[in-house]
Amino acid sequence: MIDLTPRPLRLLEFYEDGEAARHFSFAVEPLAGEPAAQPGQFFMLAVPGVGEAAFTYVSPPDAEGRFSALIRRTGTLTAALFALAPGAVLGYRGPFGRGWPAAGPGERLLLVAGGCGLAPLAGVIDSAAGELQLIYAARNRAYQVLARERARWHERHALVETLDQGDDGRPQGHPLEALARVLDEDGLPAKVLCCGPEPLMLAVARGCIDHGLPASRIWLSLERRMHCGVGLCGHCYIGSSYACVDGPSYRYDEYLRLLAASGQAAATALPPQPC
Amino acid sequence: MQAYELDSPERLRNHLARERLLYQPQADGQGALRWQRLDDPAQPFVVPAEPPVFSAKAFFFAEREALFRYENGRFIALVPEARPQVLFGLAACDLTAVAYQDRFFAVDPHYQARRAATLLVGLDCAHSCRHGFCAMMDSGPEVRAQTADLILCPLAQRWLLLVASERGAEVLAGLALQPAPADWAQQRDAQALQVAVEQGEQEEIALGCAALNGETVDSQAWEALGLRCLGCSGCTSVCPTCSCFAPLQQPSAGGVVQERVWDSCLYQGFQQEASGHNPGATPGQRVQRFWYHKFGEDFRQRFGRDGCVGCGRCDAVCPGGIGVHQVMKRIGEP
Ligand code: FES
Repeated sequence: MIDLTPRPLRLLEFYEDGEAARHFSFAVEPLAGEPAAQPGQFFMLAVPGVGEAAFTYVSPPDAEGRFSALIRRTGTLTAALFALAPGAVLGYRGPFGRGWPAAGPGERLLLVAGGCGLAPLAGVIDSAAGELQLIYAARNRAYQVLARERARWHERHALVETLDQGDDGRPQGHPLEALARVLDEDGLPAKVLCCGPEPLMLAVARGCIDHGLPASRIWLSLERRMHCGVGLCGHCYIGSSYACVDGPSYRYDEYLRLLAASGQAAATALPPQPC
Repeated sequence: MQAYELDSPERLRNHLARERLLYQPQADGQGALRWQRLDDPAQPFVVPAEPPVFSAKAFFFAEREALFRYENGRFIALVPEARPQVLFGLAACDLTAVAYQDRFFAVDPHYQARRAATLLVGLDCAHSCRHGFCAMMDSGPEVRAQTADLILCPLAQRWLLLVASERGAEVLAGLALQPAPADWAQQRDAQALQVAVEQGEQEEIALGCAALNGETVDSQAWEALGLRCLGCSGCTSVCPTCSCFAPLQQPSAGGVVQERVWDSCLYQGFQQEASGHNPGATPGQRVQRFWYHKFGEDFRQRFGRDGCVGCGRCDAVCPGGIGVHQVMKRIGEP
């Protein structure tokens, strides 16, 4: 049987990390035999009196159960979370879902992230043994997240950052142009992992396919409203799949098949707020 | 299957009610049938001509229930206390739906606690209800053996009692019963065939299903149907296989209780995210979703059968006139 009851989670500390975004450290009592969280998986965070919502790990729980997560203030639950001080007790269930595919020996990965979509990829970058390139798109400099991590990653990996609005108000690079350049100059990577607003991910996937990369080598992390995290409440559907158990990482060809079979078209309009 | 002859369903019912809470479909005094607790053994058992307004799903998947309590920094699981109960007179379609949900909620402790404490007594239909098409959906008219503990079959002159599970055999202890005549199975089959004939070919369901899976229905057709959806959740409430729920936080003395309540994929906010992004933003998308969940081939693969059991309740309840027959007819039209 599954357990729908959260375990207590302690808010250890946080710092501001991007506009309206905070980098939180949490600690949960480790359970014997608990599976280790994989990059791209998520957990359900309970704010007592408000509810539960899904978030991804920036760093997964260590032996003491300490982990971190990047959270942007968006709705009522995050507003309540941002009002809490270190020491507050929250609830935790997880890890849930299917994370990113592992890189095979010697495989080169290309990561494309938009906005907060950088957070679910952090574990991939931090644990990468082989070569890795990263394109990170954000609305403007203030919206960029994971500043400390990016500073570290710059030293080890090829990292291109683009801004819809640069410091002078004009666009500074463009994620799709950066993608085309990387694919032209360095050839096709073994896999592309992409996370950001859905229209950006779809544009990236199409860009990759135009360059000859098969859809089966492209992975997207899909966001859906999630309530249970265990495939029961029905909210997170994508076609006949449930993103909380079958995703959130989907292979692009599988994602297209799911949408086509369910008669739905892929999302193309940008969300009203940036992720 | 062991088969007995039974002089009256009430004798079996009252025997089972001795050690369990017993529920049966009863008139609610306002023209509808509802599952109600039997509190007077003298009350007759009336064979329903139409299915009860609500299926039996709420007995296991509660319309509203507490999951856990938060108090003084602790989360306390609230698993329901299940009392032995018997559902007496479940039609084949509703039993197929219970089997479908048994599988869907296989690891849900709340559902399974209630389900394990429940004895299911099925009832073969001697006539088709108004909107039913169970024969086509492979869920009736006769009760499927693996979905019940005991099965009642009303024949012209007598009742048959069939034992469909070990538990069903055990609960008959102490009840004097005569074996059924040798040709009981033929008589039962003939009656089921007659009900299937009453339901007819159901061509619109077949065509609608083919169109839905052939991906030939365009979004405009769905949006036209969506215009008629009031988002009232009538269909999802009466549907015996619908299982979506939403969380609800309730203040309680000294803490908070996390509940879950039935939800509906037809509600506009069902998939609305905090960012404002809503993958199911239009009524047509949501109507399409509902029917894809019931008849989509991928779901059939995933859950072992169609999500629709052919009970026809959505036809009876939808105020917009987009129950299963109307929807399938429209999308199946060339
Ligand atoms: S979050 Fe409930 S089914 Fe996925």
